[in-house]
Amino acid sequence: MRGHGRRRAAMVVSAVVVSLSLLAAACGDDDDEDTEATTAETGNSGGGEAADDDAATDDTDDDTDDDTDGGDAAAATTVAPMTETEAEMSPVSGEVDISGSSTVEPISIRVAELFEDVAPDVSVTVDGPGTGDGFKLFCAGETDISDASRQIKDSEKEDCFANGINNIVELKVGVDGIAVMTNADNTAVDCLSFGQLFDLIGPDGEGASTWAQASAGLPDAPLDIFGPGEESGTFDSFIEIVLEDLAEEAGVEATTRTDYSPSGDDNVILQGIQSSDTSLGWVGFAFAVNAAGVKLLDVDGGDGCVTPTPETIASNEYPISRDLWIYVNADKAANNPAVVAYVDFYVSEALDQAVSEVGYVPLTQQAHAETAQRWNTRSLIN
Amino acid sequence: MISRLSDDKSRAAIAASIEGRRVDARGLLFRALLQACLLMTLALLAVLLITVAFDSTEQLTTRFWDFLGGTLRSQSGDDKLGVHQGIYGSMWIAIIVALLAFPVGIGGAVYLEEYAPRNRFTSFIEVNIRNLAGVPSVVYGLLGLALLLNGQIFGLDRLTGGRSTLSGGITLAILVLPIVVITSGEALRAVPTALREGAYGVGATKWEMIRTQVLPYAAPGILTGTLLSMARAVGEAAPLILVGAVTGRLGDNPGLFELSALDDRFTALPIVITSWTQQSGRDTGFAAAAAAAIVVLLALVLLMNSAAILLRNRFEKKRG
Repeated sequence: MRGHGRRRAAMVVSAVVVSLSLLAAACGDDDDEDTEATTAETGNSGGGEAADDDAATDDTDDDTDDDTDGGDAAAATTVAPMTETEAEMSPVSGEVDISGSSTVEPISIRVAELFEDVAPDVSVTVDGPGTGDGFKLFCAGETDISDASRQIKDSEKEDCFANGINNIVELKVGVDGIAVMTNADNTAVDCLSFGQLFDLIGPDGEGASTWAQASAGLPDAPLDIFGPGEESGTFDSFIEIVLEDLAEEAGVEATTRTDYSPSGDDNVILQGIQSSDTSLGWVGFAFAVNAAGVKLLDVDGGDGCVTPTPETIASNEYPISRDLWIYVNADKAANNPAVVAYVDFYVSEALDQAVSEVGYVPLTQQAHAETAQRWNTRSLIN
Repeated sequence: MISRLSDDKSRAAIAASIEGRRVDARGLLFRALLQACLLMTLALLAVLLITVAFDSTEQLTTRFWDFLGGTLRSQSGDDKLGVHQGIYGSMWIAIIVALLAFPVGIGGAVYLEEYAPRNRFTSFIEVNIRNLAGVPSVVYGLLGLALLLNGQIFGLDRLTGGRSTLSGGITLAILVLPIVVITSGEALRAVPTALREGAYGVGATKWEMIRTQVLPYAAPGILTGTLLSMARAVGEAAPLILVGAVTGRLGDNPGLFELSALDDRFTALPIVITSWTQQSGRDTGFAAAAAAAIVVLLALVLLMNSAAILLRNRFEKKRG
């Protein structure tokens, strides 16, 4: 019998994991009702949305008026001290769900982090599966805001409208620029066209060890290329903006040559550029602009050579630049003060700080004002 | 004996082995080869661990508790950067896996080993379970996506709340279920027939025999298998990405044992590691943070494995 008892004890121990979990469940019992209530609400709102469509639209109109007033007041005091904003926003609570481009993701996160100090009760969740995947969630009504490194496609728009998401505000939040660089002592090259960049860095340049070998007409000097590795967003952006179209024309894969020195660390790329008199490379503009020993090359995207500056990038004159966007579901915003407060903060002066901190080029003042205006008037896309 | 083998080759071999004058070159070579194989495995592991440990020192020595208590942030230099959301998510997932996969998996194994008739149909099922254990984890992620998020069958998305901890946990529970069935089945098969017959001999019913003899005897094996499968679940990233684990910023920070975490968005340690590694292209400091997160995950998995070993030893003592 003693043996039997021992085995029984053994079985009790074998349930340790399970009982621990049950204990955990028991601890949370108080929250049970809340949880169920939340779940029920979530279920209802899912079904009710389509039916309340008209009502919701009306709500938007009303809210738009109210918010416009508030927004104008805020816009009038653009340099309003933080404390005033704080007093205005502190009671707001709720959840904001953001998904979309991994390029824009750090901006939205940085804004959320700055916003956290102003409105600690608002919980902002940001995810970055990619622009296309982001729009899929956005058009299914699962997210409040969608980050995008390009404008919404017509097909995506139709998808949204088909799902009853008719009121979408499109806001430009920053610009992503890529600088093409060489050594500061290199006086032979000042400007490169997209075609030359494709010859030098594209797959056809594989094996070329001098500039002339890669692209006729360029100096006969050693070509040492330094750039970001495949894991980098700057790598992808460079391919999308510069190489993709030309690669398609040439019937080759849209990628870079493999015989260059890749690095995940921008500092290493800059060191590489500094180490060779006839080097060539590319990094995010914000990182290269203040670096010593490197020369930023002008780039010709078909309309002549343009020097990269914050202004030419922000205005898209410089060809290796692209706008970064967020798309806000206005109906969700109308029903969720947290979304309104977050986007209000997003388009405020916090935006420029966030954009430059995560390595992109801030909007021009005019473009920033336009973005704020679009949001404050809930200017919808159609 | 030896004199009769005087002309035989084996005599030389025996003599050599006794006297030790000649060297068994081939034997030594084979031995050295095997040692080299082992050494290579260990060296690879050592390189991996040393690199990770080296990279992680900055985060783990200067701000250990801050790192454990911190959250996902946009910049690696942030004071609030850390892994607590990942740890919570991984622990919830472990609990859900334990609650779902263990009882179902062990139950299935007991049925297959003790009750099911041995025929073509059951062996077909067993073969399939073994195949399922070898299916790439991403496929389970797709299953979770279809079943728990998009609700294509049974409308299960209403239960799980879509991209939630529950979805992640259930997906990984399904992932480890075949492994639990197989390891438990093997543990049950190792139970001596004499024990079963002895139980029947004193008049036990089948259920009594299984409860009092088979399960206690197989418990150490079952436990080891299940806890190892739990460690597998805690280390998975790919399926979780598909069921909506958050890579960027997780807004809500509910406490460890708050049930509201179940139907909320979630992240997990492997996801944190993946995300930071990707971001290291933009912000180099994230590579060190990712290394530190790897150390935390390794510690968590080692903790689980040592728990498995401790429990197994305890059971084995009792069994003896």
